[in-house]
Amino acid sequence: MNESIIAPQRSAEEEARYCVRCGLCLSVCPTYRESLTETDSPRARVALVRALKEGLLETPTDEYSSAFFRCLLCGACTFICPSGVAVDRILEMTRGELAGQGLLPQALSDLDDRITEYRNISAEKNEGRLIWADNLPTPPTGLGKKRAEVAYFVGCVSSFFPRSYKVPQALVQILDRAGVDYTLLGGAEWCCGYPMFINGEIERARELIRHNVETVRAMGVKKVVTTCPSCFHFWKHSYPVALGIDDLGVEVQHATEFLADLLEAGDLELHEIRENVTYHDPCDLGRKGGVIEAPRRVLAQIPGLRLVEMDENRDSSHCCGGGGNLESFAPEVSKAVSRNRIRQAAEVGAGTLVSACQQCERTLANAARAERLRIRVKDITEVVLEAMEE
Amino acid sequence: MNSAVIEQLEQAIGANKVLSSPIDLIAYSFDGTFEQHLPDVVVLPETNEQVAAVVRIASQYDTPVVPRGMSSGLAGGSIPVRGGIVLSLTHMNRILEIDEENMMATVQAGIITANLQAEVEKLGLFYPPDPASVKQSTIGGNVACNAGGPRCLKYGVTGNYVMGLTVVLADGRIVRTGGKAIKYVTGFNMNQFFVGSEGALGIITEVILRLICKPPHARTALVHFPTLEDAGHTVHSVLTRGLVPAAMELLDETAIECIEEAMQMGLPLDVEALLVIESDGADEESVQREIDAIADICLETGASRVDVARNEEERAELWRARRSVSPSLAHKAPNKLGEDITVPRNSIPEAVRRIKSISAKYGLPIVVFGHAGDGNLHPNILFDKRDPEQWEKVEQIVGEIFQVALALGGTLSGEHGIGTFKLPYMREALGPASINIQWRVKQALDPQNILNPGKVLPEP
Repeated sequence: MNESIIAPQRSAEEEARYCVRCGLCLSVCPTYRESLTETDSPRARVALVRALKEGLLETPTDEYSSAFFRCLLCGACTFICPSGVAVDRILEMTRGELAGQGLLPQALSDLDDRITEYRNISAEKNEGRLIWADNLPTPPTGLGKKRAEVAYFVGCVSSFFPRSYKVPQALVQILDRAGVDYTLLGGAEWCCGYPMFINGEIERARELIRHNVETVRAMGVKKVVTTCPSCFHFWKHSYPVALGIDDLGVEVQHATEFLADLLEAGDLELHEIRENVTYHDPCDLGRKGGVIEAPRRVLAQIPGLRLVEMDENRDSSHCCGGGGNLESFAPEVSKAVSRNRIRQAAEVGAGTLVSACQQCERTLANAARAERLRIRVKDITEVVLEAMEE
Repeated sequence: MNSAVIEQLEQAIGANKVLSSPIDLIAYSFDGTFEQHLPDVVVLPETNEQVAAVVRIASQYDTPVVPRGMSSGLAGGSIPVRGGIVLSLTHMNRILEIDEENMMATVQAGIITANLQAEVEKLGLFYPPDPASVKQSTIGGNVACNAGGPRCLKYGVTGNYVMGLTVVLADGRIVRTGGKAIKYVTGFNMNQFFVGSEGALGIITEVILRLICKPPHARTALVHFPTLEDAGHTVHSVLTRGLVPAAMELLDETAIECIEEAMQMGLPLDVEALLVIESDGADEESVQREIDAIADICLETGASRVDVARNEEERAELWRARRSVSPSLAHKAPNKLGEDITVPRNSIPEAVRRIKSISAKYGLPIVVFGHAGDGNLHPNILFDKRDPEQWEKVEQIVGEIFQVALALGGTLSGEHGIGTFKLPYMREALGPASINIQWRVKQALDPQNILNPGKVLPEP
């Protein structure tokens, strides 16, 4: 986990100078492992930054730019680098420079424009953020609450993409049964800003950051809980830096952390789920966000559930293919990465793959279908809700 | 480069297998060192026939062909120093057969060594050679450099496992050498002829490898030595008493510091050296007895402490640390030059002493680590290449380190190969007669000098 480009310690070129080109990052890079072509490797991306600095390349081109956007920003390279090179920071900073030079790929610059206009990634009216709450058996208690202990920050994907509605639907039902005092922000929730940040447009993200923080503060919120790992990672690790403060004044937790505490307190009754389950660590939650044990603590509370780990787990998890906005830019690479991950789940004989991210759930479920693998893919909130029901 | 070459390559193997954009050329311009040179074109063949087609086009246009796997080499061997065609074998990465009864695997050259190991281990088989780059190097590259690794003390180097090869020659012919017959004296030993040839005699595209049964038990000890001298002596004390550990790895104090900085695993910072010693075998009790006996010897010969890893996790962590030494040196300086000398085993303490005095003389740190059990040391010079004064010193230091190796009866390289880095020292290391006959072999196989030119052998 490292500080964001908002307050860089070393420039991209300086950071790149410490790469000894050992190539270890190739062994964990999902895009290299898929294409087996050096151009798709972290080592080459670092070499390109150096080539530009040292004059081997004259000016950045669209092709140069594409090398940096054909990347999931999963951070596996940074985690494994024995030379301590912050490859992810090099990539983020370079994306920022490219965006500044007008070399942001069109699909991604369209995405950022959409966010600026609609305050969400979907180009739908932001007031529609709570549509998923309409067809619940009872309306969530957090609906329209002006003040609460906890704010559930739903995130754009779960708010606007019907196939992910089940994630917030499950979480609010759990919160309601546990009697948690929470609020849903509705139209006052704006995109967290992470997509702009990873597109290199941090300045455009700052307005969103400020708005979101002011909103929850005004409601007397003590804790922001997210189900989306990217919202979580960005809120927790980049928001304070972006605002130039040490303390946001609110605690930020991922739903798995919140649920782990809730379930371990023992107030909720959970029923048996007898199944081999594997857990997929989302990059932004685990390796980058630092939340690795909480989801496992949640699963351990469910009687009968047997956790079988994939070879690449925890800090060494393999991206689901949904990271880094790669889907918007190079969908075929993204799909191949998803396929490689779901095969790992099949190898360990899991009946269900559980993740804690609406993005991972979607990409991996699609991959399971495409590969005709008999693996169910679920979000952890769904599994907890299932265990709570008769 | 003549654009006709690229067109012909595209016709021969498909346009999507031929890369020539500036971005791709940069990506294929370096190896695991700081040197760099752009190729004119990169090809990604998938079959023996495609490799042969590329070589025939190279021959037709008298253009260099530089074969490579994952390019993690440490001697400049896969850098296209004269431009031309870089031929990447990474797309030829299939296991063609695992023959469980004969205990052999036939693989394409581009398979990652760690992936092969994982596959054969699922069947209880074992491919022992374990270069530090096991996750980022290919079998083809390992054969072409005769890669070693810690376990080679007991199990031998890559070349000891090569039973047969498929090689594309400079004229595009495809030749098969050796086979699955264990005893094979029909003609010259052609396998060993290509082992360590660094792509200069032919392009290795398939390999038949001998496998052994996986030793189910291993115990690994981390041994602390207040003096480096005692660590050196301990190595032959263990070996001369008839014990053959799987590995005996030496780390000097700077290496320890670098690993500690990178991994924070609680290594001692008040010792001059650590030995990582592993014992393995089929029988748990005898493995335990062996590691106990080794521990006793270490304590008799100057070790201050012996810690045996308590479980597989601790053991894996020790090896991860050992493999990280070389890249972790970046924590000390932006550039490093890693040498690969070997000396007769009993000369290790003397070699280390001389290297340390060279370091003091020039005022640049030299980290020493390596495979103490077989006398193979990796002195790494740490420096900043942007400082011309330091760079000049590095070149002098390299020369002096080689002098140490040769004076003690050793040689330039144990497992990295010669590449371009050690080329200037070859005449002295081998003498004129040896260089001459090796050059004649090269000419017989590659009269146009198109296969990885400018590597391994000084040209007359």
